[in-house]
Amino acid sequence: MNNKFDALKDDDSGDHDQDQGSPKDCEKENNEDEDKEQNTAKIKMAVPGVGEHPLQYNYTFWYSRRTPGRPASTQSYEQNIKPIGSFASVEQFWRFYSHMIHPGDLTGHSDFHLFKEGIKPMWEDDANKMGGKWIIRLRKGLASRCWENLILAMLGEQFMVGEEVCGAVVSVRFQEDIISIWNKTASDQATSGRIRDTLRRVLNLPPNTIMEYKTHTDSIKAWVDFHGLVTASGGR
Amino acid sequence: MCESGQKTSAQLIPTRRVEVSSEDHMPHDCCSTPGGTLFSTTPGGTRIIYDRKFLLDCRSSAVAKTPPRGLPDIPGVTSPPAKDGLKDKPLKGEPLNNNVIRAPDSKAPGDDAQFEMDI
Repeated sequence: MNNKFDALKDDDSGDHDQDQGSPKDCEKENNEDEDKEQNTAKIKMAVPGVGEHPLQYNYTFWYSRRTPGRPASTQSYEQNIKPIGSFASVEQFWRFYSHMIHPGDLTGHSDFHLFKEGIKPMWEDDANKMGGKWIIRLRKGLASRCWENLILAMLGEQFMVGEEVCGAVVSVRFQEDIISIWNKTASDQATSGRIRDTLRRVLNLPPNTIMEYKTHTDSIKAWVDFHGLVTASGGR
Repeated sequence: MCESGQKTSAQLIPTRRVEVSSEDHMPHDCCSTPGGTLFSTTPGGTRIIYDRKFLLDCRSSAVAKTPPRGLPDIPGVTSPPAKDGLKDKPLKGEPLNNNVIRAPDSKAPGDDAQFEMDI
């Protein structure tokens, strides 16, 4: 059971209009003035600062939380996911990561998402539509370490699957935590096999940890079956 | 090259130029290259690859400790952002998780066991 943002229809999270450059960075292409614009339609690209170590891709952190007990509906997800910020270098990543609490300390039904800049952490995004994910269920106490190892591997290009990786998610739930890594082409078994092997290598998972691959379309079906089709009028 | 009837085409090895404008950018050990621990040539071109240890080592650099500009204030999730007008000053927000995550000593070869974790 995986109740993710499968049914997000309206993405209200806005674009990342935050300037991620180093304070010493005088070659910024992003305008500092745009910090204050909350609803700008412009898409700004993060840029590595002078002397920083660039990443192969830029990434964006997102956070979401669902109030438990609220009926799950398409509308209830749209407000719940928000971007935290984007980064283009190793140093910028640490600046964000060091100012976010560890997933093991998150409360409630919460998720962190780390996706390539330009890819929304939703299955509807073009990059995700034909994709799937490896999911790993963890008992409590392991999420922080596994999440960190997962994202370091992703940022460091350890998966060796070209452009296929879209992003990673850590989901804090009632009695377990779930980490997952999303890729673009669910049918590409060579890619999913290589991702699985890398996960085993970099995560140091407890023995007998089960890894499961799910296509996003299968997740949608499961969600729809579980919740029933909800139309605007509330009927089936 | 073995000419056993297969047709191959010669291709230039993709290279990447990194401009090093100051001595600070030069790596301190001779095994690294400027701009990243490894420039790897893979099908599709060069990629910037960093291993876990390198990424962790970068964490301690002073630059990395500054709270990022524009960090949203989400109670219980992020540390509060700086107020307006402090753009050019060092921000006083402290890193939330200065303590590295502790993990059980890894038995995997080559893995630096710098963590311990209480489970």
